[in-house]
Amino acid sequence: MTQVQLFVTCLVDSFFPQTGEAVVNILHRLGIDVDFAPDQTCCGQPQFNAGLRKDARAIAEHTIRTFENTTGDIVTPSGSCAHMFRHNYPEIFEGDSLWLPRAKALAERTYEFTEYLVDKLNVTDLGATWDGPITYHPSCHTLRGIDVDRQPRELLANVKGATLVELPQAEECCGFGGIMSVEHPELSAEWLKRKISNLEMSQAPVMVVTDAGCRMHIAGGLNRQKKSQRVMHIAEVLSHQ
Amino acid sequence: MTTFRKRILESINNENLQTALDNNTERRLKGRAAAFESIPDWRERRLRANKIRADVIDNLNAYLEKFIAKNEENGVIVHRAKDAAEAIQIVLNIAKKSPQSRGVRGENQKESSRKVLVAKSKSMVSEEIALNHALEKENIEVIETDLGEYIVQLRHERPSHIITPAAHLKKEQVAELFHEKLGIPYTTDIPTLTATARKVLREVFLTADIGLSGVNFGVAETGGVCIITNEGNGRMVATLPPVHIALMGMERIVPNLNDLALMLSLLPRSATGQKLTVYTQLLHKPIQNQTRHLVILDNGRTRLRNSPLRESLYCIRCGACLNACPVFRELGGHAYIGSDLSIAPYPGPIGSVISPGLLGENYVQLAQASSLCGACKDACPVNIDLPKLLTRVRAGQTEERGKKKDGAGLSSSTKFGLQMYTRIATHPKLFTASQKLAALTFSLFAPRSQWIRLPAFTGWGYSKDFPKFAGKTFRERYKGKHGGRETSIQVDKFAGEQVGRFEGEQVDKFQSEPVSQFIHELTALSGNVQQTNNATKDIIEFLKTHNISKIHLEPNVLDENLLREAGIEFTSEPDPQIIVGVTNAVCGLADTGSVLIVDGALHASLIPEIHIAVLKQSDILPSLPDAMHLINVTRAAVFVTGPSRTADIEMTLTIGVHGPKEIHVFLT
Repeated sequence: MTQVQLFVTCLVDSFFPQTGEAVVNILHRLGIDVDFAPDQTCCGQPQFNAGLRKDARAIAEHTIRTFENTTGDIVTPSGSCAHMFRHNYPEIFEGDSLWLPRAKALAERTYEFTEYLVDKLNVTDLGATWDGPITYHPSCHTLRGIDVDRQPRELLANVKGATLVELPQAEECCGFGGIMSVEHPELSAEWLKRKISNLEMSQAPVMVVTDAGCRMHIAGGLNRQKKSQRVMHIAEVLSHQ
Repeated sequence: MTTFRKRILESINNENLQTALDNNTERRLKGRAAAFESIPDWRERRLRANKIRADVIDNLNAYLEKFIAKNEENGVIVHRAKDAAEAIQIVLNIAKKSPQSRGVRGENQKESSRKVLVAKSKSMVSEEIALNHALEKENIEVIETDLGEYIVQLRHERPSHIITPAAHLKKEQVAELFHEKLGIPYTTDIPTLTATARKVLREVFLTADIGLSGVNFGVAETGGVCIITNEGNGRMVATLPPVHIALMGMERIVPNLNDLALMLSLLPRSATGQKLTVYTQLLHKPIQNQTRHLVILDNGRTRLRNSPLRESLYCIRCGACLNACPVFRELGGHAYIGSDLSIAPYPGPIGSVISPGLLGENYVQLAQASSLCGACKDACPVNIDLPKLLTRVRAGQTEERGKKKDGAGLSSSTKFGLQMYTRIATHPKLFTASQKLAALTFSLFAPRSQWIRLPAFTGWGYSKDFPKFAGKTFRERYKGKHGGRETSIQVDKFAGEQVGRFEGEQVDKFQSEPVSQFIHELTALSGNVQQTNNATKDIIEFLKTHNISKIHLEPNVLDENLLREAGIEFTSEPDPQIIVGVTNAVCGLADTGSVLIVDGALHASLIPEIHIAVLKQSDILPSLPDAMHLINVTRAAVFVTGPSRTADIEMTLTIGVHGPKEIHVFLT
């Protein structure tokens, strides 16, 4: 039986556990054993993005150690955490002959959730069903960071009963940007406004994302504006039968 | 709130600015996308361009040596400036030695007592070193001749965009400005505004003592200096005044003409959505009766080259990252300020890297204003990893390795919070305990809600609510269902191998007939093409129907006896009164509709309102790279791609600025 490691991410763990459960359900249905290394915490992206390299390094070392003792591919329901493993860990350890190879070994085992399903398992139809229109917001780090776009779209196209409607200006950032949303709230607010008005234009009641960060941000904005649209992680849609 | 944030908020609340910026963004993004469709192998080109730039920066000193030696061979006077002060002094010294300054130019007393006049085409390096201000202090008159630059100079502002300097203004503001400063009746008609600038600036070109320009590329192998402009002002300043000063950043080198051709297939497409800029000038030797100085500037570039921000030197200044950037779209160039409140010379994603990189800590705060969304990296024609560089600026890596300051430009509260979180995230037990504590605290404050409304000062609370911590975290739920396990931590050594991933498409060669493609492309740019068996006869007919009796003619192009018989006067000397110039075209380019004009034909193809070029069908070549060998042997050459144009006011395309309003190609 294939075993994978789930890196659930700190945001899913703390705010959206249902996303993690949906990932586990889907993988189980595909006959895959899911292991959860209990020492995992956060990937260190907030620190890295803020420029706190020492802090980011401490967390990266912790994460690498945690997963070095496990076997199988690492699957994470987040494009931005996958991007952190794949591109930023090597950047943190650049020139470090002990840690760089370890960081690269971790990166090579890591897959964003939809990437793992489509590219590694060759699965595009999960037998999911849905009722009504949905729209897809490509998260920046999924789309441009790790070049994953075809995979979530293929998976969504095979959800029975779901009508996939195009989100206007879909590729624009929602304004989360991790710490930017608190360091530059005025900027962040403008992009959020635009993202929400584009969502309204799409007329879809549900927006699907691949990152808990975007979800937290857009859903937080929708709640503040008292809108009825929902934001969901793609795993939750795909596990719906 | 920091002044930077206040400035951002002012920009956001400035409706005029927001409309102007939305216009700029939309049109530029569309234009760029359309232009790239014509080179389906652009991904592969972009990787090649990246490699070329990397090689240049790696071997910069060797390339510069070659470039400088070639220029000296070509009769160009080369100066090197290590910083802004030196560059300014060099220009001042040249100005002081100019004929005007010595009082020998001009025919009467009044003329010779006027200030030294410098006609300037757009140069970001001159903005970087604040050259205009320094020259004006020394009683030298500097006039910007790019329409957008001219507008911001009249408003005493800095350019707000590296390609479209007046991108922040609406036409009503330009109308008011021209009414007030140039004394014309108030009008928002963009062609009228453009024509007014043309008239005023034409006088400047004709009387300037010195022409000053930037440099887009320097070609190491030949010493060629490439300057591209749409309006024609770059050609004017480089060929009309007795002295031309070209000011270039020391990194602006390409190894050879083939590499230049590749860069030129990417730069205009990225910058303005054009296949080729209207005037692509390549200067090798000074033209007759002209002195050319080349000033090569370091000003922090050597330091940048030795720093982790080295890759930012690959930049070819197209401005595509500005147009793609959601931050720039809200701010415009003027809100990119340093902690001393000065406006950064370079805005946008690249500016947030090189402004602190070249000019120091004052500008590090700019790099924090980014979501690292990566739209800039996607847009970059030389594939610079801008998000990575932004995180390096944030990590204090603007200095050479070793002197790093973590969290540059970060607010102290965020820094404190993140450092607390690091402690938690490196201790799993503390992590789970904190999750519980946070969930508990949350339910105390908002027992029934899924969301909590944080106050605005927290940043998050400004425009969105914060989600409830899950009563049971994922790990708790998972443990409940699947049983838990304890991990014992052992450190193993891995010997990982990196797998490089490259992708590229095969070059798609255009197969259609060159002549019809040439006609199609030039016509699309509002140029005219006429096929003819007898160029002189048909041109005479053209002149007759336009009531033109005198032309500026390049020698040996037309049958001069036939012209005389038809009563057409002609001269080979520049004369501002003449409205038609007739030249030979050395070759045509099928894929862009360009014609190559060289040496003796430069003025006849520039100063008159109508340019007629005679081109042999057999001289139409497929594309720019096929023509590069032809310019190697010329003093100066220019690829002309349509009539002169600008989009500096509200991104509205206006035909006919400084160069000809019409171009007619007679194909023989």
